[in-house]
Amino acid sequence: MSRAGARPGVLAAALLALLPAGPAGAGEAADADAAALSLADLQSDEVAQASDWRSFVEAGAGASVRRGDGAMQGSRRLSVDIRYEHSLAPGARVFLADRLDLGQPAPGVGEHAVNTLKEAYLSWQLAADAMLDLGRINVRNGVAAGYNPTDYFREGAVRAPISINPASLRENRQGSVMLRAQRLWDGGSLTALYSPALVRESNPEGLALDVGATNARHRGLLALSQRVGGLTPQWLVFHEEARSTRFGFNLTGLLNDATVAYLEWSGGRSATQLAEALHALTPACECSAWHNRIAGGLTYTTPDKLSLTAELHHNGAGLESAAWNALRQGPPALYGQYRSALRSSQEMPTRRALFLQAQWQDALLPRLDLGLMHNLDLVDRSRRVWAEARYHVDRVEYAFQWVLHGGEAGSVYGAVPEARGWQLLARYYF
Amino acid sequence: MKMMPFRLMIRLLALALLLVALPGRAAPSPQEILVASDAVRNPDFPFGLTNTLVEYRQGRQTESSTLAIYSKADPAGGQFRSLVRYTAPARDANKLILFNGKDLWFYDPSSKASIRLSPQQRLLGQASNGDVVTVNFARDYQAVTAVEEDTQDGDRQTRRCHRLSLSAANPDATYHRIDMWVDVGNARPVKARFYSESGKLLKTAYYRRYQPIFGVQRPTEMVIIDGLESDWVTVMRYSDWTRREVPEAWLQRDYLPRFKPE
Repeated sequence: MSRAGARPGVLAAALLALLPAGPAGAGEAADADAAALSLADLQSDEVAQASDWRSFVEAGAGASVRRGDGAMQGSRRLSVDIRYEHSLAPGARVFLADRLDLGQPAPGVGEHAVNTLKEAYLSWQLAADAMLDLGRINVRNGVAAGYNPTDYFREGAVRAPISINPASLRENRQGSVMLRAQRLWDGGSLTALYSPALVRESNPEGLALDVGATNARHRGLLALSQRVGGLTPQWLVFHEEARSTRFGFNLTGLLNDATVAYLEWSGGRSATQLAEALHALTPACECSAWHNRIAGGLTYTTPDKLSLTAELHHNGAGLESAAWNALRQGPPALYGQYRSALRSSQEMPTRRALFLQAQWQDALLPRLDLGLMHNLDLVDRSRRVWAEARYHVDRVEYAFQWVLHGGEAGSVYGAVPEARGWQLLARYYF
Repeated sequence: MKMMPFRLMIRLLALALLLVALPGRAAPSPQEILVASDAVRNPDFPFGLTNTLVEYRQGRQTESSTLAIYSKADPAGGQFRSLVRYTAPARDANKLILFNGKDLWFYDPSSKASIRLSPQQRLLGQASNGDVVTVNFARDYQAVTAVEEDTQDGDRQTRRCHRLSLSAANPDATYHRIDMWVDVGNARPVKARFYSESGKLLKTAYYRRYQPIFGVQRPTEMVIIDGLESDWVTVMRYSDWTRREVPEAWLQRDYLPRFKPE
């Protein structure tokens, strides 16, 4: 951690040690104020300077219990993550973000070393209110925490899924090559981008640029935002080669000083999710219909920095109970193909789900953050629970993560081979 | 002794009454004192600065953050809007925050996520969001009374001050009530005590290290002492003040990912 001031040392500690820790009377308050001011007197004038780099190395080790036979499997991982942002000239900047994951078992498909070039692009600020970007860019839309129907560029983007945390899946993915233009005005903006088809097939080789994973089809997006009162809704129009146009909408609002409400919607005509996933294995169907995908929720924050989120997910193209049960009990190849396709597209297999999250910053003691997530599939009642304790000191972070997947065989979470598992992580920023 | 003529006595009496009724200079109202105090803390044009926050608990440094901030007053309401970019610590470097009244957004360049925050979500330890960015108190609070009294300033000197009692005047106000001490001679803010609705002392802040900034002596340090745990102290230092043009179009969520202070 870059220190802005030197440690105050023994004198300051002694000054503060004399203070009452509880509520104070007038005289005690004056003493407390005097001691605090003396402490501030000792602080150095050093100011941290901005850096173009933000990088870390992370090592992890853990174990998981396999569903069925209860066999224990160990795991270990080493990751290097770099971000670089540099001004080439006034109004011109270059961005680079890359991640290398080395792991056992393999973080990629049969690959023990997987590199993800997350971003590499040039940005020009043509005027104070007009920008142009060119290169591989990680575009992410959506205001929900656990499921983002308007995150149109997530398909095929995760090369090495190192965590089931939605935040990690958003962070550790590659962008799409595109040309993006943005125009801003007071309270609003319009973004237009075009992402061409460059390579039709994905290349799972560990060190490949894998352009085909995120640039297999021509795609275009228009996003319009305009502040209306205290709200800033966003409207999206997304078109993808060989698919119908999709429309999206994002909205957030304050219910009170402690509560944020949000709604994310995407709709468009498409075949059912099952038909799209199995198109290579089954005859084409005439089943195109309008499907809505929705995520909506609330986040409430207590005065002591505990944030609680409850979110409902609806995937109109996902499977209802009868169809989901039929698929689970049908040919394994069809079931496997469906799950595989949805892993790539990061879509929900079924129609409805509930997502609960608690994040407690500086929990119990300073610099300790606790997190808890609960995914509950409302169609097959399977569930996932994920918990994390993260402690940071200076440039180092330590984390302990624990996960549980529960449910019947073939259910959304009951099909995950890992019944439960844990891992220890250490991260060093440099 | 010769008696004063009656008519002259009447004239002198009328003059005395006039002098009493028409003082040479009206005393400033509590709200005017607050406005003058805001003007000492904040330039009346868009500007940029660096805010270095260091947090101490029981005399030990526990956290440190460095923020690059651009601020501009809203031409409509007069309150400041701010764009903030973390310079340090390394794990937070380049994260961004937009403060626009109660429209608060956080952007993490790693996850590319723009997250709407509620005003209660504190981002930097003990300091409230309103402490971190520029605030015009006179826009959100009404100064009800002003009482002259001596008080200890941030340099432990006795100073003659107006003690202003401020009440929240609109829903954007962070605190229910504030007692603020403002120097009688030059309208410099000296210290403030912030209270909850229940009357509990939330924190005490001292404004000090006055230096010439844009031609005016302004405080460049704020020492915040927690109301409940007095050994929990946050020191905020302001440096690198620069006059900056901040286009209105930048003060929105969609510009946030692009904000980089020069």
